[in-house]
Parts: sequence; C-alpha cells; structure tokens
Amino acid sequence: MLMMSRREGETILIGDSIEIVIAHIGRSRVRVGIRAPRETPVLAREVKLVREENLAAAAGHSAEAVSRLLAGIRSNPPASRR
Amino acid sequence: MSGFVTKHFGELPAQPEVEFEFPGGLPGFEARRRFVPLHFERSDPLIFLQSLEDPDLCFLTVPVLAVDARYRLGVEPEDLEAIGLPGDRQPRIGKEVLCLAVLSIYAEGATANLLAPLVVNLKTGKAVQAVRADSRYSHQHPMVSEETPVCS
Repeated sequence: MLMMSRREGETILIGDSIEIVIAHIGRSRVRVGIRAPRETPVLAREVKLVREENLAAAAGHSAEAVSRLLAGIRSNPPASRR
Repeated sequence: MSGFVTKHFGELPAQPEVEFEFPGGLPGFEARRRFVPLHFERSDPLIFLQSLEDPDLCFLTVPVLAVDARYRLGVEPEDLEAIGLPGDRQPRIGKEVLCLAVLSIYAEGATANLLAPLVVNLKTGKAVQAVRADSRYSHQHPMVSEETPVCS
C-alpha cells in the first residue's frame, strides 16, 4: 500500500479524474473531500459491507429457516453466551 | 385504503399502528423509507420489518440485546441528530430508542449485523441504520455458536 503524508488543505490526485483533499484534521478523525467522476462510487468501506449485508438479508428466508433460527435462539439465550 | 400487503403474512387488514420512518432509507434500499414492525408471540423475539412501499421487502430483525446482552451503542452524532436525538451522548436502549439487528440467513447459519443496528427513536418512530465507525462489532455476528457449549 502506498503511504503518503499530507497536511490539512493538501491534495492527492488519483489518475486524471480523482482528487482527494484533506479538508480538516481533528483530534480523532479526518475530514476528506473527494472529487470523482459521477460513475465512480465513493463510499466508506463499512457502508459497502452494510449495503451487501442488507441485500443478503432481504434475499428471503423460508419459513423453515426461520423456525430453525428461532429454535437456535431459544436454546441459546444471550445470557448464557460469552 | 385499508390494510397493507406483507411478504410473509398476506394482506393484513388494519392500518399499522406503529410505523418506522427511515428518512434516508437503508444502504442498498435508499428509496425504502416506511416500515412496519410485526411481532408475534410464536416468533418472539423476532421482529419482521415489513416495507410499506414494497410488499416483497421484509427484513428479519431481533433486538440487539437478545443477540448480545452487553451490546454498547456507538451511534455517530449525525445519525442521532437525523432521528431527533441529541448528538452528544448515546441514547438508552429501551428507554429512548429501540435497537434492532438485521438478520441474514446463510446456509451455514444465521448472522446478525451488529456493525449497523437499526436505531429507532421510540417517541417519533424516526429511524436510521447506524453504521458504526469503529470495528468493535461484526456485520456477520453468528447467531448460534458453532462450538460445543462448555459448562463452567
């Protein structure tokens, strides 16, 4: 992985069409400005994970799968879990 | 208009009493904003979250505390403000907010998304899928441990 040190207000270019500006450096987080072509999706990694997980979650669940899940939850209540 | 159509339970006769509104939708379902929680005694503690805008969309959820009794919220200030709560402190689960984990059913078993719980303002019904910025919890937390339980 390429590592680069930048100060507040400085910019990084990726190819000809993507620009990343270090807009603000706070105590524990950095605010970043991103300029990219409309067709390039830009999102936080965890939001991508959640999007994929939501799509999988909505894909459907048979009645049988739901009852199996329920049986599992009931035989293993959270209090007994680590 | 009377009733609404659900994915698993056909058409329910009455208008829902409780409705959750996600002003920004959910990641992957940005245009779906209105959901009704359906809870039945025989499927407790599961809560079916039925979309009012798409009869084919129904999430299977469970209160986070039923997955991990010691779950600690980590909602970003902007998410709290989006549902009308003060952004400078975490809300109390069960008092100010309802906190649900979305379940996915895979061949290997079900998992709960503890990385991004659904947080609902109990007073207003305004809701958000609050994606945590830390990596304290998994988006695929196994619902039932694969390991053999050990008695201590």
